[in-house]
Amino acid sequence: MNVITAVKYYVAKMTEESGPGMKVLLMDKQTTSIISLVYSQSEILMKEVYLFDRLDAAVRNEGLKHLKCIVFIRPTEENVRLLCNELRFPKYGIYYIYFSNIIPKTDIKLLAESDEQEVVREVHEFYADYLAISPHLFSLGINGCSKSLNWEPTHLQRTVQGITAVLLSLKKCPLIRYQGSSDMCKHLAEKIRYVLTQESNSFEFRQESNPILLILDRRDDPVTPLLNQWTYQAMVHELLTINNNRVDLSNVKGISKELKEVVLSSEHDEFYANNQYLNFGEIGQVIKDLMEEFQKKAKKHEKVESIADMKNFVETYPLFKKMSGTVAKHVTVVGELSNLVGTHNLLEVSELEQELSCQNEHSSQLQKIKRLVSNTRVRDIDATRLVMLYALHYAKHTNNDIAGLCSLLKNRDVPERFTKLVYSILDYSGISTKQINLFDKEAVAKITKKLFKGLNGVDNIYTQHTPLLNETIEDLIKGKLNPQVFPYLGNAVLTRRPQDIIVFIIGGTTYEESLAVHNLNKQNPGIKIILGGTTVHNFSSFCEEIEAAMIGVVPRYRPRSIRERNED
Amino acid sequence: MAESEPMEGFICPICMIDFKTPVLLTKHFEEYHKDDPEILRSLKDLFGKAKKKILKQDDVGDYPDAIIIKNHKHSLEIDWGPQDIGHIRSHTKYFKEIRNTRLERFTTENNKLLIRLDKLLNQLPTDPIERKAYEQAIVPWMDDKDARLCLTCAKSFNLTRRKHHCRLCGVMMCHGCSLFLSLEKARKIISPVSVTQDDSALSPTTENKSFTNRFVRTGIGLTKLVRSPSSGSLNTVLSMMSDSNAEQFFRVCQHCMNLLDSQERLKARHFEKPIVYQYYEKMQSQIKDANKLLDTYNKMWQSLNEGESTYRLVDAQMVRGKIAKIGDNIDVISKRIATLVTISDDSSAMLKQEYRLNQMVRSSAMLFLKNNLLRAPPVPTEEEYEKIKRDRQERIKAQIAYERQLEQQQLEKQREIQRERHQDRSIIKSPTTPTNQMILDQSQGWGISNRPTGNMMISSTSIDPFVEQMSNLKFYIKQAREECKFEEVATLEKNLKELQSAYFAMQQNDNNSQE
Repeated sequence: MNVITAVKYYVAKMTEESGPGMKVLLMDKQTTSIISLVYSQSEILMKEVYLFDRLDAAVRNEGLKHLKCIVFIRPTEENVRLLCNELRFPKYGIYYIYFSNIIPKTDIKLLAESDEQEVVREVHEFYADYLAISPHLFSLGINGCSKSLNWEPTHLQRTVQGITAVLLSLKKCPLIRYQGSSDMCKHLAEKIRYVLTQESNSFEFRQESNPILLILDRRDDPVTPLLNQWTYQAMVHELLTINNNRVDLSNVKGISKELKEVVLSSEHDEFYANNQYLNFGEIGQVIKDLMEEFQKKAKKHEKVESIADMKNFVETYPLFKKMSGTVAKHVTVVGELSNLVGTHNLLEVSELEQELSCQNEHSSQLQKIKRLVSNTRVRDIDATRLVMLYALHYAKHTNNDIAGLCSLLKNRDVPERFTKLVYSILDYSGISTKQINLFDKEAVAKITKKLFKGLNGVDNIYTQHTPLLNETIEDLIKGKLNPQVFPYLGNAVLTRRPQDIIVFIIGGTTYEESLAVHNLNKQNPGIKIILGGTTVHNFSSFCEEIEAAMIGVVPRYRPRSIRERNED
Repeated sequence: MAESEPMEGFICPICMIDFKTPVLLTKHFEEYHKDDPEILRSLKDLFGKAKKKILKQDDVGDYPDAIIIKNHKHSLEIDWGPQDIGHIRSHTKYFKEIRNTRLERFTTENNKLLIRLDKLLNQLPTDPIERKAYEQAIVPWMDDKDARLCLTCAKSFNLTRRKHHCRLCGVMMCHGCSLFLSLEKARKIISPVSVTQDDSALSPTTENKSFTNRFVRTGIGLTKLVRSPSSGSLNTVLSMMSDSNAEQFFRVCQHCMNLLDSQERLKARHFEKPIVYQYYEKMQSQIKDANKLLDTYNKMWQSLNEGESTYRLVDAQMVRGKIAKIGDNIDVISKRIATLVTISDDSSAMLKQEYRLNQMVRSSAMLFLKNNLLRAPPVPTEEEYEKIKRDRQERIKAQIAYERQLEQQQLEKQREIQRERHQDRSIIKSPTTPTNQMILDQSQGWGISNRPTGNMMISSTSIDPFVEQMSNLKFYIKQAREECKFEEVATLEKNLKELQSAYFAMQQNDNNSQE
């Protein structure tokens, strides 16, 4: 149950099946990301793949007849059409075709009829149809999966395909549970079951126990993606945005050319793999250690006097080079993070965010928000997220001042897009119809906080919030997850404790949740949990998600002042 | 849980002492590691987390050993269980079925075209009228009345849009839709090289038929020759004129042209094997050799570094030298590949692509050299090896001494037990001892009595079994060494040693018995 391994196996098999010889990999946009996430270029070079080509590129490269061509594409209509053309006028010698998902027989027929020159050797379905980010985390790269709070049909289709691919690549045929309050969850669950029954031949796996596929809706926990994060991976995504393991640093002042875009891959960067879940304070310390270690090595290499020294240097050179690259990269990233934290008062903002998400002190929190919103060093998006959190928390509070805070935002010249979001998120979350109170842990939090202060006075106030997902999965593991709230699809019910769990969040997951799942995996050695989402959000992508979802929805929440005026 | 045991308790990361409570540990820090505020801070951080862990508030997985980089690794590994490659569904069979049924139709049609082309080219009359008759004789033309419209573009025929026929299938079309196959190209298609190719596709019966047809055809051609001038209408004159322009061509329809073209492309692919391919194959075989040698070398290196005497130091050095040589070869070949194609800005896209490919091959070769060959650890020097060997011997000696001691102790214990038993059984045992001695005497006596013949054997014939075997072995070892099969060398040498010691023992035995 490791999604990265699953994808890697498929890619390795592709390169092996074509035997020795020079190869070219022909992909589409999505499969390019899928492969680049798990294989580095040097790794794939070692598999004799020397060229990469895009099937959907406007200007195609010229072909070379002595190359073997590995085609790895999604089975879309467009791709099949393009591939038919390619086969009619083949650019390469021999073709090995792999579709990333289930392809209709009619399409195979079309392709076969186009292969007049008999260039195709193999045609297979290899279900690597998702972005494997961590061993336990996958994404489908869909931003804004819903429209008018319902599925966008193309995105639904892609999501069904993505989840099917995960199941097939891990050889799991699950029982499906979904969040009963969400229509989108139910819809998706039914679609997946349809595929399971349609393709029942493919889904006959020998499995010790039934895996569980749990489908959740982001709308149920809109708080988590709003928060600033303090663990390395989540923080980089929140502040710098990780896109297919790549971080764009071109905006950083005085950045050197080779660091304009850095790759953070847990597969190829050992430092990152070891430290992606550490918090910011710890990462600083680790970086310091790394620097020292590096300096030690660098210094040692400076005095290359004897021939033995030289030999030694050359022999450790690849390692040395790799290490110096790692150091430079992480120092730059962490440096930029701490720069942003400093200039935008992020510590203070985050502290208040955490309080808003875990505690219940309306008036003092309101004061703090007002102060921070009027602070010019605070970014617009941070001011907005505070007001959004406030709105979510106190929407039902009798004395809430959402309207007042919105006007404060307007005074700050925050773009209208953001002020609108304050009301949008209330509609998005459907706070009035909500069954679980997101903030009911506040009482516990208050007590424990006091306890901490009483004990030593040190406290990590920036990581008080635990995502709702944590609790849901823990309940599921213990077999306590309410079957009314999270019904099974169909009659089958799991009686034993589940061993393999796949959780999918419609509307996107977050790195905070990924960390929670990582920890759950470590705490429960017998249980394997995989988390997936239509995408992995940070604040700004989540805003876009909400905006897409709210298109065509009549807002129900209005500022009270307006309501009162209307009533008068 | 996955947490490792050293992390239990409140351990100072610097002195690795367990302090029983957090308070004591912090105090210890404030007293002894004052100069290192970083650690103190992180330690405090840590306690904050540990507390939260107890209170189940924070993400529990942040590990206390987080500060020490080396310890990360085990805390990170989550057992994902055994995993094999995911589900695969193959469409290859279905694909090929469909393709074959389609291609069958296609190939028969293609073959028909080739046969016709062959006939047309054979003894083609140069006179346009004769030629036309000849062509019509081989390929039945579509009747003029059957088509009002051009069958390709569907435009109606009239005075300016004349009717024409495809010389290969006889279909009707307008001039605009006609394509022209030059005689030269046609000959090339039917050239001997391709004929041998096509024969494989053609069944022998069709081939025979084509030959018989060839004889019939000449006869028909002659009869047509007589008939053709009679049709001296305006139509033929006009077509004659246009045909005379295209004297060196066959008028062909689009469909037939496509078929012939794809046939040509298919043929081209069979013969194409550019020079880069040969270099590349050479390079790959070198890489394969290098990998094989690296495997053996690593094994040797490990064994040498442990002070074992399975492999010889010289051999390891030789393998390393060989690897280095192969590395040089790979470097040279890949360099040559990289410089096979040179491009400038105005080179064709094809050339640029080829250039890119060659560059990538070169860089992958460099990567291989860097990652695999340069990282091969050096062979220990003589002195180092001697030292390693001595260390090992000492270790072994210590081990043996220890085992001896154990044995001795056990023996003593056993002896004590036996002594007790002896006392019990002394009465029974005493009579058996003399018989034992008797047997021993007898065997010795047998040895002595047989001595002369035994000596004879050794001097005359016994050379072959033992000595011959040994010399054989020596020869094998030499051979194996030449072929770099060092594992075999090792086992063979072991065999040789055993043999030698056995031989030696035997001889001594003999000597002893002689005395």
